[in-house]
Amino acid sequence: MRTVLKPLIVIFACLATFVSHDARAQTALPSFGGASLTAHHTQAKLILSADTAKPGDTIWAGVDMKMDASWHTYWKNPGAAGLATKIQWQLPPGVTAGEIQWPLPEKFPPVEVTTYGYEKEVVLLVPLTLASNLSAGPLDLKAKVSWLECKDVCVPANQSVETKLNIGPETKTSANAATIELWQKKVPQTNDVYSLSAWWEKPASDDTRPLIIGNEQMMAAKNIKYDSVDFFPGTNDAFEIQAATETISAQSAYIRFRKVVKKFSGDWPKGISGVLVIQNGNSRYGYEVKLPVSDQAPAGETIPAQTPPVRAGETPALPLMLLYAFIGGLILNIMPCVLPVIALKILGFVSEARSEPRRVRNLGLIYALGVLVSFLALAAIVIGVKAAGHHAGWGMQFGSPVFVVCLTTLVTLVALNLFGVFEVTPGGRVLNSAGELASRHGAPGAFFNGLLATTLATPCTAPFLSGALGFAFAQKSPTIILIFLFVGLGLAAPYVVLSCNPALLKFLPKPGAWMEKFKVAMGFPMLATVVWLFSVAASDYGSRVFWLGVFLVVIAFAAWIFGEFVQRGRKRKGIALAIVLILLTSGYTYALENRLHWREMIAETDAAGPINQSGGTGWQPWSPAAVAQARAAGKPVLVDFTASWCVTCNAIVKPALENNSVAAKLKEMDAVVLIADYTRTPSEITDEISKYGGAGVPLVLVYPKNPDAAPIVLPQPSPLQLPSGYAKIVLEALDRSAR
Amino acid sequence: MKITLALLTALTFVTAAFAVEVGKPAPDFSGTDINGKTVKLSDYAGKLVVIESYNSDCPFCNNHYKTGAMPDLQKDLAAKGVVWLIVNSVNPKNSSHRTPEQAKQEMIDKKITADAWIDDSSGKIGHLYGMLTTPQMFVINKDGTLVYDGAIDDKADPSHDPKTARNYAREAVDNLLAGKPIEVSQTKPYGCSVKYAD
Repeated sequence: MRTVLKPLIVIFACLATFVSHDARAQTALPSFGGASLTAHHTQAKLILSADTAKPGDTIWAGVDMKMDASWHTYWKNPGAAGLATKIQWQLPPGVTAGEIQWPLPEKFPPVEVTTYGYEKEVVLLVPLTLASNLSAGPLDLKAKVSWLECKDVCVPANQSVETKLNIGPETKTSANAATIELWQKKVPQTNDVYSLSAWWEKPASDDTRPLIIGNEQMMAAKNIKYDSVDFFPGTNDAFEIQAATETISAQSAYIRFRKVVKKFSGDWPKGISGVLVIQNGNSRYGYEVKLPVSDQAPAGETIPAQTPPVRAGETPALPLMLLYAFIGGLILNIMPCVLPVIALKILGFVSEARSEPRRVRNLGLIYALGVLVSFLALAAIVIGVKAAGHHAGWGMQFGSPVFVVCLTTLVTLVALNLFGVFEVTPGGRVLNSAGELASRHGAPGAFFNGLLATTLATPCTAPFLSGALGFAFAQKSPTIILIFLFVGLGLAAPYVVLSCNPALLKFLPKPGAWMEKFKVAMGFPMLATVVWLFSVAASDYGSRVFWLGVFLVVIAFAAWIFGEFVQRGRKRKGIALAIVLILLTSGYTYALENRLHWREMIAETDAAGPINQSGGTGWQPWSPAAVAQARAAGKPVLVDFTASWCVTCNAIVKPALENNSVAAKLKEMDAVVLIADYTRTPSEITDEISKYGGAGVPLVLVYPKNPDAAPIVLPQPSPLQLPSGYAKIVLEALDRSAR
Repeated sequence: MKITLALLTALTFVTAAFAVEVGKPAPDFSGTDINGKTVKLSDYAGKLVVIESYNSDCPFCNNHYKTGAMPDLQKDLAAKGVVWLIVNSVNPKNSSHRTPEQAKQEMIDKKITADAWIDDSSGKIGHLYGMLTTPQMFVINKDGTLVYDGAIDDKADPSHDPKTARNYAREAVDNLLAGKPIEVSQTKPYGCSVKYAD
C-alpha cells in the first residue's frame, strides 16, 4: 500500500509546492491532499530560549525540524546533491535575526553522491537581537522555513512557523531553553584545540587535486585520541572538496588525511573552510576551521605513506630496517647491475695485492667513502623530492633521459679506458708498465669506482633492500639518511673487509702481463652495460636514439685521438687536442642538441615500452580504474610494475611471468593482467608502489578474486634466482588468490 | 565500522577515477532506449550532443519540465541539429523508476522531444559519466570532446523560473555553433542525487 501511495504523495507534494508556492500560508497540509495524507515528511516548529526578554538582550530562536523515519533534510553545504534549508524571517521592528548556527550534520550515502544533513530531528539555531527601545508587550515572531527532504525521492516543502515573545523587564527562560542548549552543544565550536595546516600533496594532474590536512607534529605529542577524523567543507561555487576522506596517518595521535578537491572554475583555492569532525567512540565533535592552503608541506613535515594494506597496523622498527638496509646493500653486490664494477674492483685488488697493507686498507676505505658519498647524494635527492610534495622511488633518476645519456656516455668511456684507448691519469701521461698500472688505481680511482658502483646499482633492487627503502621513503630526513648510509655500508662492506685483511687476498695471482689482458676483457661487461643503457634510452627517444649512437661513436673517436695523439703522441699534440675539442663540441651540438633533442622524450604513446609483453597473455596498461573495474567484475588481477631500465624486472620477473605454466594459470583463472610502466617514473605509479611499502620496481601484486581482500605483494626476486624459480612464487600467489 | 569506511572511501575514489573530464574525449557508451533500440554515443559522431541526467520525480528536474523550459530547450536545439539524449539512471527498486511503457507516456505528458531516452537503471552510463545529480548536463562537441559538465543553470532551486536563469547548456551550445569559446565549461551540478542501486 505504502509503495503505491508514495508516488502519489510525491506528486501531491510537488503540486502543493509548485502550484501554490507562495499562496499557501499557515497550513502544512495541502488543501486537496485528503485527510490521511501528510504533505511532507518534516514538521517544523519555532521555539525560543526565553518566554519573556528584556530589551537589549539577545535570545535564541530554534527552528525545530522533525523528520519522518529515513527522511532527511540538508546542512548549509548539502554536498553533492540536495538543498540547504532556508529560513525567511518576518519579524516586528526592533528584532533582528542573525545567521543560522548549524548543528554538526551527518554524512549520507550513496558514496557516489554523498550529502550532508540531518535525520530524525534538528534544531537550527538563530540569535535574535532585541533593540533596547522595544516597548513591553507581546510580539509575534514569524518565519517561513523551506527545505528539501529526501528519502528515495526528494520533495521540496515549506512551512510557516510562528510563536510569541513577551517583552518585559526581566529575561525569563522558557520550557524550551534546555532543548536549545542541548542543540547549541552540537554546533561546531571555534577550533582552539587542533593546530591544523592544509597543503597540496602534489601539482594538479587534471581538474582534481589531492589536499592534505594535518596537525603539526608537536601536537602529536599530546595524547589526542580519535577513532576517525573527517572534514565537512563549507560551500563554494568555484570548487568542491569531495566527500571521501582517506586517513593517511599510522599513529592515532596524528591527524593526517587526504581530500580530493575538484575545481570548477578559476585558480586552485588559496584557503578552505569547513568543520573538522572528530569521532571518538560514540562521541562526535565538530570544530570550525579556516585554513590557508600552502603549495607544499610545512617544513619538517613529510607525507607518510599510506599504511600498506597487507601489513596494516605494523610499524617496522628502525634497527630492523637498518639491518635490512645493510643486508640489501650486501646483496646488491651480486645483482647483475653492479657486476661490471666488481670486475674493476677485482682488478684493483690484484694490482694492489702485493702493496703494503696500509695502502690497501686506505684504498678500501676510500672506495667505501665514494659509495657513502653517493648514497648521501641519493638521500638528499629523495629528501628534496619529498619536500616538493612527491613520492620518491628507488632508481627514479632513470626516468630522466638526460641522466641516461650522461651515464651511457660515462660507461662507454670506462669501457674504452679498459680497452686501453686512452688513460685516466692526473697528468694525462702514458702508462706502460705494470707498476704504473697499480698507481692508476690510486685514491681517485677507488673513489670513482665507489660512485660508479652506486650509480649502476640503483636500477636493481634486492631482497630486504626494497622493504628498507620503502620504509625510508616514508620517514623524516634523518631516518632517510641513516637508512641510505646503511645500504652504502652494505654495498662497500665486502671490499672494506677484504682490504683490511690482506691475508684473505693471498689466493690472488701475482700481478703481471696477464693483468693488461684481464683489464681489456673487463671492458666487455662494460660494453654490455652500454647496450642496456642504450635500450633504456631507446624507450625515451624512440627512433631518434640513432643519434645517441652517433654521438657515442664520435666520443669514442675523440677518445682514441686523445689517447693516441695527445697522451702517447710526440708531435703536434696541440692540433690533436683541438680536433678532440671540435669533435666533442660538434658531436654535442649536432647529435645531442639538434638531432636527438636529448632533453625531450617522445610521447608516451609512441614509445615502445615493455607494454609489449609477449607470451600470449593479454597485457593491458595499468590504471587504478582498470584494477577497480576488473575487481568489480569479480576477476583476479595481476599487476606487474616494471621499467625498461630495471634489470631485475627484465632478467627475472618478466621471463617468470611469461613462463608457460604461469600464462596457462592466468588464462585458467580468467585473470586480468596489467602492466604498470615505470620507465618514466610517472608519479601515479610511484604513489601506488609506495602504498605497498615498496621502493621501486619490480613489484608484482596479485589481487584476489574476492574484491574485499587485500592484494598479495609478491616477494622481491633474490639474486641469481632463475626465472623458473620466481615463476613458482607467482604460481603460489595465484593459487592463494583463487581461494 | 573502519572496514566499511575504508570501503566507502575506496569506492568513492573508484567512482572519481571513472568520471569524465572536460576538454577530454567523452567516453563512448552503449545503452538501450525505451523503444528497445541500442543507442551509442558514437552513433552521433560529427554532431553536437547534449546529455541530460533525468528523473522527473526530482523536483529540480520537474521544475524545468513543468515550466516548459526544458521542452523548449530541447526543441530549440533540435532545430539547430543538436542531438539530445536523456539518461535515466534510477534503479528499478526506486519508486521513481520508469518502465519503458511509463517512460513513453511520460515523454508525451512532459512534451519531451529528446532523440532518445536511455534506460540506464544499472547506472552504467551514470557512473561512467560521474553523474551526481538530476538534472546534470553534458555537452559534447562535434569532434567528440566533452565541453560542458555541470548544472543546467545558475539557480540551484526547485521552484525558480528557469527562463530567467543563465542556462549553461544552452549557452555552451550557442557559443559552439557561433564559433565562440565557452565561458563556463564546468560547474557544480545541483539537484537530487541520482538514485543508483545501493
